Amino acid sequence: MTNFAGGYAGRILYVDLTDGSIEKRPFDRDFALRYVGGRGISSRILYDELEPGMDSFSPDNRLILATGPLNGTPTPSASRLVVASKSPLTGGLGDASAGGYWAPELKYAGFDAIVVRGRSPEPVYLWIEDGEVRIRPGKHLWGQRIHDTSQLLKEEIGDDDIHVCAIGPGGENLVRYACVVTDEEGVAGRCGIGAVMGSKRLKAVVVRGTLDVGIADPARFKQAVDAYRETLVGEVWTDVLRKLGTPNLVAHRQKLGIWGAKNFQKATIEGWEKISGETFRERFLIKAMGCMGCMVRCRRYSAIQEGPLSPTFTKGPEYDTINALGAKTYVIDPAIILRAHHLCDEYGIDEQTAGSSIAMAMELYERGLLKKEETDGIDLTFGNGEALLHFIEKIPFRKGLGDLLAEGTKIMGERLGAGYYAIHVKGLEVDASDPRSLVTRALTYSVATRGSCHLRGFPYIDEFIKPEEAEAHFGTASVSRLDAIEGKGRMVAWSENWITIANLLGLCIFAWYRSRSFPMLIRRGQELASETFSAATGLPMTGEKLLRCGERVYNLEKLFNLREGFGRASDYPPLRFFEEPLSDGPGKGAKLSRDDYDRLLDEYYEARGWDKETGVPTPDKLKSLDLL
Amino acid sequence: MAKQRIGYFEDSQDPEAMCSRCRMCELICAFHHHQVGNPRRGRIRVIVLGRGEDIPVTCLNCEDPPCLKICPTGALHRLQPEGMVTVNPDSCIGCAMCVNVCPVGAVTIDPVEGTASKCDLCQGDPQCVLYCPAKVLRLTDTEHQAHFRRKGYARSLIAATQDR
Repeated sequence: MTNFAGGYAGRILYVDLTDGSIEKRPFDRDFALRYVGGRGISSRILYDELEPGMDSFSPDNRLILATGPLNGTPTPSASRLVVASKSPLTGGLGDASAGGYWAPELKYAGFDAIVVRGRSPEPVYLWIEDGEVRIRPGKHLWGQRIHDTSQLLKEEIGDDDIHVCAIGPGGENLVRYACVVTDEEGVAGRCGIGAVMGSKRLKAVVVRGTLDVGIADPARFKQAVDAYRETLVGEVWTDVLRKLGTPNLVAHRQKLGIWGAKNFQKATIEGWEKISGETFRERFLIKAMGCMGCMVRCRRYSAIQEGPLSPTFTKGPEYDTINALGAKTYVIDPAIILRAHHLCDEYGIDEQTAGSSIAMAMELYERGLLKKEETDGIDLTFGNGEALLHFIEKIPFRKGLGDLLAEGTKIMGERLGAGYYAIHVKGLEVDASDPRSLVTRALTYSVATRGSCHLRGFPYIDEFIKPEEAEAHFGTASVSRLDAIEGKGRMVAWSENWITIANLLGLCIFAWYRSRSFPMLIRRGQELASETFSAATGLPMTGEKLLRCGERVYNLEKLFNLREGFGRASDYPPLRFFEEPLSDGPGKGAKLSRDDYDRLLDEYYEARGWDKETGVPTPDKLKSLDLL
Repeated sequence: MAKQRIGYFEDSQDPEAMCSRCRMCELICAFHHHQVGNPRRGRIRVIVLGRGEDIPVTCLNCEDPPCLKICPTGALHRLQPEGMVTVNPDSCIGCAMCVNVCPVGAVTIDPVEGTASKCDLCQGDPQCVLYCPAKVLRLTDTEHQAHFRRKGYARSLIAATQDR
């Protein structure tokens, strides 16, 4: 029996790989009401259990795999897994999330989360079935790529209906941005959690389960799910996602001129149609895929079936694939981008930091700061697709220049004395878009608690919120004006708390959180989310309380980062965005103004209840969140 | 009326009209019958073959059902000649002979209750059909399915003619 009428599996698994001990602890009801699940579990445990200043590759670092209370229920798009550690890329709080099928399966196998510490003397994998846990030898899997690892495990266990969460050679060889891959397709990419898994010599976690995830109030639950389904009818954003996936954003980036092409030296791309969502659909798409229970189906399944790069079968691409491996390196060739993406997933390295690191090296090469003898004799210029593929094969094994590229841009900058060209915040490379002409986006990317991230807040609200809604919700109608600054700090802070709710519950932010109607953000992200949570778990919850849980977790992450030395200065965008104006496109000439950014950051800190000088949460704020 | 069953109606020309492996059919089936989240209690399963090939599989409602014939206790029975074979859990002993003989693997032993479990068409309102986002599952009968196949074949003939 567990502490819950439904939703939660009710147990957390603790594994120490140094001595091979296994402990199953009950999941606490009061903890669930305060931290819910997912990022709430991982951030609290990291804050509580890690000594400040610890080396990320120390055996004492934790690898946490966490689900939310809605994973495993028929809640649509409740597919997301959170993986977390102290990040070897940033030295701060690190987490990443993956869709697919693995998080629900962990619940069916009897656990809400797994916390791994220690370091095994030899490579191992974990095999978890219906509450039983075994640590098994994994030496024969070490060195294998993701697909082969999965196949070997299926043969060994004698069942292909198992779910595998694994690292590739990238994680084994401590590439600082190695990813964790679930079921060969669901990639938890950022922050290098796969390298922490590799440092523990844990090759994979394999799960199979037949246990029920209970639903406390089935009739109420069904009502909530059906109400959510109704909100999808006529939702333009979900229609676009189904048709083109996230690559629909390619046209948008071009239109606004906010590509960070050529390592953020170019805002638009000549011949961008070659890498548009439409092109990928026409040339490579096999079908639209859905993660567990998804009604939106933005995931792509694609194949290259002719030419020198065939056969390549892969999920994806995402918009961020195209941005990192295409725009940043200026390899405007869709087949090469798709192939490079496939290789990143197979070797288990984050394509975003991989693309960013190679793009930075390209700029350094073109500027003469890297010589040909340092680049394995390769002409490492922008647009060189062969060089891109070459180094994606070298990085996972740290061979040649791949050894330096495997460190990520921040360390590359330090080693080469070229930090200006390392486009990151807190050590995590800027993804998504170039925010020089959009200061609110710059703020969102820069204050994010895992380093630069476009998924930890929702700065686009000012594009569609109505003046009266802005007045009512943020205290000023100016939030509805694109060019205004006033109120935007409050908007970003609110959006971070709000979007964190998805990461606590296990929901996908694309299916649940994306809309261009402000009332719909509240309807899905707070009302329906809390209603579904209550119906599934039997625990009391409201949209406002969930928002407080989001805020609590966000503050805890801030405290973790402050302890690691990330103060106000770490909440600033890269210097390049203040120094160099956009060279082309509709935003030509735009650069960030230090005054504007300071004002915005002040307002953001004020909205958060954090000290303006230091970024430290005030005692009043911590008290109000029960964190003191 | 011909015998009804759940049919899979994909359109191989339309990437949005194929099984997208969301497994909502499994989830909603288990929820409808047992009020829990547990796809291994679903009576329809998505089979993953790799390279983007995924197909939902469930009971074919055979004319001459081996599961019914082999059941030693009469737990599997048919109320109407055209109706789905259903399970009476009270008389099922969980011997799994039905599982052994079903040619498509549509009968399982429920992992929680230990008795035979199979599609019952939700008393005429199949939830998998209702919730399938790709709309590739339909309540159908053999005549409808043959008609759908004939249309696909006819389209390929037209395409072949136009290619020439």
